[in-house]
Amino acid sequence: MNEILAQGPGPGAWMLLAALLFAIGVYGVLTRRNLVAILVSVELMANAVNLNLVTLSRTHGSLTGQSFALFTIALTVAEVVVGLALVILVHRTHRDIDADAPSRLRG
Amino acid sequence: MVQLALFALFAPVAMFLAIAVLPPQRRRGVLAGALSSTVAVASLGAGIAALLRYDGQPVERTVTWLVHHGRPIASVGVFLDGVSLSMMVVVGLVAAGVQVYSLGYLHGEPEPHIGRYFAWQSLFIFSMQSMVVAPNLLQLFAGWELVGLCSYLLIGYYWTKPSAAKAAVKAFWVTKFADMGLMAGIIVLFVETGSFDWQPGLAAPVATAVAAGLFIGVMGKSAQVPLHIWLPDAMEGPTPVSALLHAATMVAAGVYLIVRAYPIFEAAPGVLAFMAWLGAITAFVAAVTAIAQDDIKKVLAYSTCSQLGYMVAALGSGHAMGGYFHLTTHAFFKALLFLGAGAAIHAVHSNDIHDMGGLLKKMPWSSGLFLVGTLALIGFPGTAGFFSKDFLLEELLEAGQLVPLALLVVSAGLTAFYMTRVFSIAYLGDPSPAAEHAHGTPATMFTPMAVLGVLALGAGYFGARLAELWGFEYAFHLSALGLATTGLGLLGIALGWLKYARGVDVVPSLTGLRAFIRSGPVDTFWDRAWRRGLLPTARGIGWFDRYVVDGLINLVAWATLRGSEALRKLQTGRAVDYVYAVVVGLVIFAAYGTIAR
Amino acid sequence: MLSWLAFLVVAAVLLTGAIKAVTSADLVHTVLWLAFVLVGTAVAYVVLQADFLAAVQVLLYTGGVITLMLFAVMLTRRRGEAGVPSPSRGPWRGLSAGLAVLLLVATAVIRTVPLAGWGSAKPVGGRSAELGARFLGELALPFEVLSLLLLAAMIGAIVLARREGGRRPAPLRRQAALPIPEPAPAPDEAAHGRSK
Repeated sequence: MNEILAQGPGPGAWMLLAALLFAIGVYGVLTRRNLVAILVSVELMANAVNLNLVTLSRTHGSLTGQSFALFTIALTVAEVVVGLALVILVHRTHRDIDADAPSRLRG
Repeated sequence: MVQLALFALFAPVAMFLAIAVLPPQRRRGVLAGALSSTVAVASLGAGIAALLRYDGQPVERTVTWLVHHGRPIASVGVFLDGVSLSMMVVVGLVAAGVQVYSLGYLHGEPEPHIGRYFAWQSLFIFSMQSMVVAPNLLQLFAGWELVGLCSYLLIGYYWTKPSAAKAAVKAFWVTKFADMGLMAGIIVLFVETGSFDWQPGLAAPVATAVAAGLFIGVMGKSAQVPLHIWLPDAMEGPTPVSALLHAATMVAAGVYLIVRAYPIFEAAPGVLAFMAWLGAITAFVAAVTAIAQDDIKKVLAYSTCSQLGYMVAALGSGHAMGGYFHLTTHAFFKALLFLGAGAAIHAVHSNDIHDMGGLLKKMPWSSGLFLVGTLALIGFPGTAGFFSKDFLLEELLEAGQLVPLALLVVSAGLTAFYMTRVFSIAYLGDPSPAAEHAHGTPATMFTPMAVLGVLALGAGYFGARLAELWGFEYAFHLSALGLATTGLGLLGIALGWLKYARGVDVVPSLTGLRAFIRSGPVDTFWDRAWRRGLLPTARGIGWFDRYVVDGLINLVAWATLRGSEALRKLQTGRAVDYVYAVVVGLVIFAAYGTIAR
Repeated sequence: MLSWLAFLVVAAVLLTGAIKAVTSADLVHTVLWLAFVLVGTAVAYVVLQADFLAAVQVLLYTGGVITLMLFAVMLTRRRGEAGVPSPSRGPWRGLSAGLAVLLLVATAVIRTVPLAGWGSAKPVGGRSAELGARFLGELALPFEVLSLLLLAAMIGAIVLARREGGRRPAPLRRQAALPIPEPAPAPDEAAHGRSK
C-alpha cells in the first residue's frame, strides 16, 4: 500500500478514471433525450479517449499518443460541427430536438 | 418436286396468317374466302405437279431441330414418297373442293364469321399437309395436334349454339384423351431407340408397346369403338367441315399414321390382330347404328366410323395397302356424300331425312351425284368403293382373319341397307312440304361435287397405277369373296328399297333397336366413367394440390409474413434503441475477445 | 503522496462535472458542465506533462466546441422559457450499458497495466517543440488531410443547416420589402446581359 502511495498514480489509475468518464458518457447517450445533450455525452466519451491517449503517451515516454490525441481533438470538432448542423436541421423539420422525434425508420 | 411440295404446304399457312393477322381480311369474309379458295386450288395444283414429277425415289429434306449435347433429337422437314404425295393430293383436292363449296354454302353468313371460317380452313390445310409429309413421328404428332385444334375450332363454328360448343369440347377431349396413348407410344419409341423414326426391326416387346400407344391415339382420331362418340356430335359443325375434316381427311389421319408407321406395327402381331378385330367391330356397330338415324349427317357420320373400321381392320391384316387404298377412295366418295347432303340441307334447311323427300325431282343433278356417292359407298360394282373394299377384304382373307372378315362382309350388306334407306326417304317419292321450295345448287357448290363424283366413279380404275406408286402389285380379279360381298350389298339395296320406297314390310320394325341406340349406350358408359372415375380422381388430385402442395407454399409464405411482422417490431425508429443495440453488441464482442484471449 | 492528491482532485472534478453534465435538467447547464469537464481535462493533461495539448484543449475545445454548442442551444430553444428543458428517459439502459462498458474496460486495465508508478518511462514534459516538428515532418501529410476534413465538415455543416429552396436570408428579405424601384423589364435586362 505504502509502495503504491509512494509511487504516485500510474497509468492504471488514469485509465480507470478515463473508463469512468467513458461509462458516464455512455450513460448520457442512452438516457438523454435532447440531441444537444446526447452530443455533449459523446464529447465526454471522446474526451475520455483523449485522456487515455495522453496517459499512454506519458506511460511510454513517447509523443505519438499526444499527436494522436491532437488528431482526435480536430476530428471531434469536425464531428461536433456536423452534428450541430444536423441538430438544427432536425429542429427545423420537427420543431423539436428530441431524439425520438425523427422516427420514420419505425417498421 | 420439293419446292412444289413446300409451296403446297406453306401457301395455306401464309393465307391463314394473312386472313387472321391483316385486319381487313377477317372482317371481309367473302374476299377472304375467295383468296383462301384460290390459294387452296393453287396448293392443290402444286401438289399434283409434285406427284407427277415423282420418279419413284423417295426424297427427304429435313432441318435438324432440338439439338441437345451436339446431337439432334429430331428433325422437321418433308418426306416425299408415293404415299405422302398421293395423300397430299387427296387432302389438297378435297380441301380445295370444300373451300370452293363453302363459298356457296356459307353465303349469307355474317362476314366476320366467314373470315374466321376460312382462316381455320387454311390453317387446317397446312396442319394436315405438314402431318402428311412428316419425316418422323414428332412432326406427325405436331400436325396431328394442330388438325385436332382445327377440328375443335371448326366444329364450334356455330359457337353460339350450346350443342355446337359442347360438341367441339367433346371432340377435343375425347381425341385428347386418346392422344395421351399416342404420346406415350412416341415417348416409348424415343426412349428405346433415341429417335422418332418409324424404322423397322424393333424388338417385339418394344414394337408392341409403341404400336399399342399409337393405336390408342388412332382409336380417338379415327373414331374407333368405343372412342367413336365424338364423331356424330362433330356434325354440329358446318357440313363442308364435316366433309373435309370428319369424313375425308382428318379422321383418316389415324389410318394414315398406321400406314406411315407400318414398320412398327408389322413387328407387333398382337396389335395387328387387335386392330383387325376392333376395326371389324367398329364397322359393324357403326353400320347398325347408322340404320337408326334420321339425321342425314348422323347417318353419314356413323358410316364414316364404319368405313374407318374397314380401313383399320384391313391394316390389321399385315398389309398396309388395302386400307390405304380404301382411305383414298373413301375420301372422295364420303366427301361427295357430305357435300351432297350439304346441298340438300342447304335447300330444305333441315337435317332430317323425313323433311327432305323427293329431292330427286327438285334438284336432279346434285341428287344424282349423291347417288353416285351412295353407290360408291355401298361398293356397287364398277365404282371406286367396290375396288378398294374388295381389295381390303381379300387382304383379310389372305391373312386368315376370318371372323373380322365375316363381320365386315355383313357390314357391307348393312351399309347398302342404310344408304338405300336414306336415299329412298330423302330423294325418292314425292317432294315433302319442306322440299317444295328447294332451290337449285349454286355453281360454287356443284362444281366440287362434280369433280368428286367423277373420282368416286373412276378412281378404282387407277388402282394399278396407284399400287405402282405405293410400291406393290395390284390386279383386280373377281373372286368368290367379291361375289358374296356384292351379293349381300345388292340384297341390302333390294331390302332397303322395298321397305322404304315401296313400303313393303320385308324386315322387322326397328323400333327396339332405335330406342336402344337413342339411349346412347356408349355415351352413357363414358359419361359414367367420367363421372365415377375421372372426376373423383381429378378432385382428389385437385385436393392434394390445393391443400398439400399449395398448403406447403402458403405455410412458408405465412411463416415469412408472420416472421417479418414480428421482426419489424425490432425497428422502433428510436435512435436510442439502435445505440443501445450497438453498445450491447460491442460489449459482447469485446468481452468475447477478452475471454477468448 | 502529493501526486495522488492532485490525481484525486482532478478525478473528483472530472467525475462531478461529467455526472452533472449527463443528469442536469437544463440544457444550458449541461453544456456548461461539459465546459467544466473539458477544462478539468486540460488540468489533467498538465498533470500528465502534456502542456501543449492542455493549451489546445482550452483554446479549441473549450473555446470552440462550447461556443458552438451554446449557439445550437440558443438557436433551438423555445422562446419565452427561462431555461432549456433537457428531459431524460429511464436510467436502466444507460446504467446497464455504462456499467458493462466500465466493467469490461476496468478489467482490461487492471489486468494489463500497473495502477501506480510510471516505471522508467522517459518524461514527455517540455517537448512541445518536438511535437511541432513531428507535425511538420513525418505527420505532415495526415495533418493536411485533417485540414481537408475540417473544410469538408464546414461545407457539410453549411449545406445541412442552409434553408431549403435557396431562399434569401432574412436580412435581404427585409430589404426587398422596402419600397424599391421596379426592376427593369426582363427583355432589356437580357439584351443588356447579352451585349456584355
